[in-house]
Amino acid sequence: MSFEIPERHICGFIGPNGAGKTTLFSIITGAFPPSAGSIELRGNDVTGMKAAALVKLGVARTHQIVRPFKAMTVLENVQVAVHFGRQPIAATAAAREQAMNVLKLVGLEAKASSLASVLSLGQQKRLEVARALATGPDLLLLDEICGGLTSAETRDMLHLLQDIRERGATIMYVEHDMKAVMAVCDRITVLNFGQKLAEGTPQEIQNNEAVITAYLGKPVPGEHPSA
Amino acid sequence: MTAVEFINLLISALLLAGLYAAVAVGMTIIYGVMKIVNLAHAGFMMLGAYFNYELFEWLHLDPMAGALLSLPVFFVFGMGVHWLLVRWLPKSDQPTLSSLLLMFGFWLVLQNVGYLIWGNSDRAILTAHRRTLPLGPITIPTAGLVVFIAAVTCLAVLQFILHKSWFGRSVTALIQNPYAAQIVGVDHQKTSQLTFGLGTAFAGFAGALMAMLFSFNPDFGRPFLVRAFVIIVLGGLESVTGVAFGALILALIETFGILFIPAGYQPAISFGLLVVVLLVFPTGIAGLLKRKWRLA
Amino acid sequence: MKFAPGFLPWVLLAVLIILPALGLSPNITRLLFITLVWTTTSIAWNLLGGFAGQVSFGFAVFYGLGAYTAALLIDRGVNPYLAFMASAVVAVIASFLIGLPTFRLRGPYFAIATIGVTEAVRVVMSNLSITGGASGFRISEHGPFRQVHHYYTALGAAAIAVAISILVSSSRFGLALRAIRQDEDAAAGLGVNPYQCKLWTHGLAAALTGMAGGIYARYAGYIHPQGVFAFATSISILLMPVIGGVGTVWGAVLGGVIFGIVEEELVANFPQIHLLLYGTLLILIILFEPDGLLGLLRRLFRRYGRDSQSKEADQALWGRSRLEGREL
Repeated sequence: MSFEIPERHICGFIGPNGAGKTTLFSIITGAFPPSAGSIELRGNDVTGMKAAALVKLGVARTHQIVRPFKAMTVLENVQVAVHFGRQPIAATAAAREQAMNVLKLVGLEAKASSLASVLSLGQQKRLEVARALATGPDLLLLDEICGGLTSAETRDMLHLLQDIRERGATIMYVEHDMKAVMAVCDRITVLNFGQKLAEGTPQEIQNNEAVITAYLGKPVPGEHPSA
Repeated sequence: MTAVEFINLLISALLLAGLYAAVAVGMTIIYGVMKIVNLAHAGFMMLGAYFNYELFEWLHLDPMAGALLSLPVFFVFGMGVHWLLVRWLPKSDQPTLSSLLLMFGFWLVLQNVGYLIWGNSDRAILTAHRRTLPLGPITIPTAGLVVFIAAVTCLAVLQFILHKSWFGRSVTALIQNPYAAQIVGVDHQKTSQLTFGLGTAFAGFAGALMAMLFSFNPDFGRPFLVRAFVIIVLGGLESVTGVAFGALILALIETFGILFIPAGYQPAISFGLLVVVLLVFPTGIAGLLKRKWRLA
Repeated sequence: MKFAPGFLPWVLLAVLIILPALGLSPNITRLLFITLVWTTTSIAWNLLGGFAGQVSFGFAVFYGLGAYTAALLIDRGVNPYLAFMASAVVAVIASFLIGLPTFRLRGPYFAIATIGVTEAVRVVMSNLSITGGASGFRISEHGPFRQVHHYYTALGAAAIAVAISILVSSSRFGLALRAIRQDEDAAAGLGVNPYQCKLWTHGLAAALTGMAGGIYARYAGYIHPQGVFAFATSISILLMPVIGGVGTVWGAVLGGVIFGIVEEELVANFPQIHLLLYGTLLILIILFEPDGLLGLLRRLFRRYGRDSQSKEADQALWGRSRLEGREL
């Protein structure tokens, strides 16, 4: 499998359960080393680099299963990312201000001083995005940030993605919600059993025979797959 | 080194391995099922030794019978400890520090109750077993041999239980995949309690056996704790055979290490080995072999 | 009560400075000295074990190395305060040697590895000839023995430890440690380097512990491996902050103070009761009150509605929210 991510695009990654989407993300962000192959960032080899080092190069991710620092406030959660992100801010006051700005962007400013553990799932997903965003990434890997959200929350989240792209970041986006992916992505890559099945614009993917077979065996564009 | 010396060393390494396996197996099954690093294991071993000692002193019971008797007694004791303390710990699929500290606290309690009852002087069980069995130029310590046979027999019985019974299948299932096991109806609480009882029974049994070979005081068991952990790490967590394998490696290294390291430093071998092993094979050598094999 | 948090430590420090002038008996001074030394180690352990969540059974190594370094240097006529600094340096070097490999391990695996390290170091120290081996080492220091001198040295060390602890807990470094404690991978994903943070914290904690060991050695005049390098020393250093209130500046202090006083009273007469008591306390704390005695005190205060005034003041005094202790 091989692919490239053009700058300032939103690239969707879809595929049935177990296709290897989250594993792909974990390898790119340095959570575990690849057994073979290489990863390049703007022509520089970053294969096997640790997560913290990749953050400094502008790569950040969210987790499919949210991992907030539960015993910290929402603001402190984001503050960690500001303090240690790509352009670290050492001063506490400045870092808090920056963290607050990011929280405003995702619409969590009202919850800034609550403990992260008391947030709803939708809010925790937004906190994940806020933390990743606060590291100041060029490449943002988002893993199922809409899973389990209401349709209104999903819509807000997709607006947020477009906002982020407008600010100059590139996004790799994994999602099960086909509607969301089709609506927001510029390019889509379909994975199955760790292999690339197809690649193209949302329209091309919708009409791709192989993809349709892998998913449902029948062409129903835009419908939520059971996978 | 002559061949005879070599064989004598090899024999003592084998006997030691049997003993180490008995020490480690209780800790292994508890770790496997509950992911609890049972530091109180050392305390249970110490109690096992004194249990055997008291039976021998007061009832003149043969220490071998005392050791066998320790199995049911410590089984019940372990179930009690589980009921009283362990079951209140939050469930986790990886080892937690709170469980480590809880068992550590319980070890402190056991150890110091031991000091209160028996003082800090060394005790020993002196029996007729303290002879050697000469086989030409090769000698085998009788007590060591008896203990070895008892330990290996018990391991075999445990292996049988784990593979042939309902309880064993529950344990194996929980070790391999706790979530799936509970979905298909394995009662985690009940299995945990039985496992903790079984682990404690083996700790007491190992302590009772060792009381026949070594002198002991209430701090008895501490040096074996780190050894047990080395064995667990060497052998992986999935089977009795893994434990036997780890015990054999440790015993060989310790026994033959004498040839290369001044005797005073010998106790440091296992501790050094622990650090090396944890770093080089975080999943244990057995786990490593298994993975390689699976991948190939 | 609003100004109390910033105010109380200074009052405490002032009282401790003035106390000797009021004429203390040698016994009381000795008690205070030992308590201050223990408190310093308790605070040091809490930096790594409490803030960063890395439970170590290996602090006797630093305490012992600090004690032996100071002992050997003072015996050769080196200025004691230089010797204490050397103690800290030696302990820091040891902390890196231990930390570089063991911090690749996580949580309980790290804890177990530190048990191994302590045992191995004690065995080695018992066999070295330069330190007098297992029979111990006697320090002959020139000049008269002045107990008050020792008292102020220990007070200084404890004050430094508290200051460092406060600085760490309120800095971005402290925030990173809290993040590591709660979720190491998530912290790494935000740019925190957990390995480096743990190494530095270990070094800082080792420096304080080594210094405390040196101060103790000079006072005691005689040290031996079964004492300063004993597993029991590691246990004591771990128990104090956990029982006082792990992960909080003042919990570690409280634990050290209680431990020092109780130990001095009990150890002389009933050494076993002492650890029996602490083992029981540890069990009760793990099961019922993970925030330790400080958490318990705080709950009692709550009940009487004394400090309902300001949540921030509360946070500043107690360090963190109650929930955080549950993360242990």
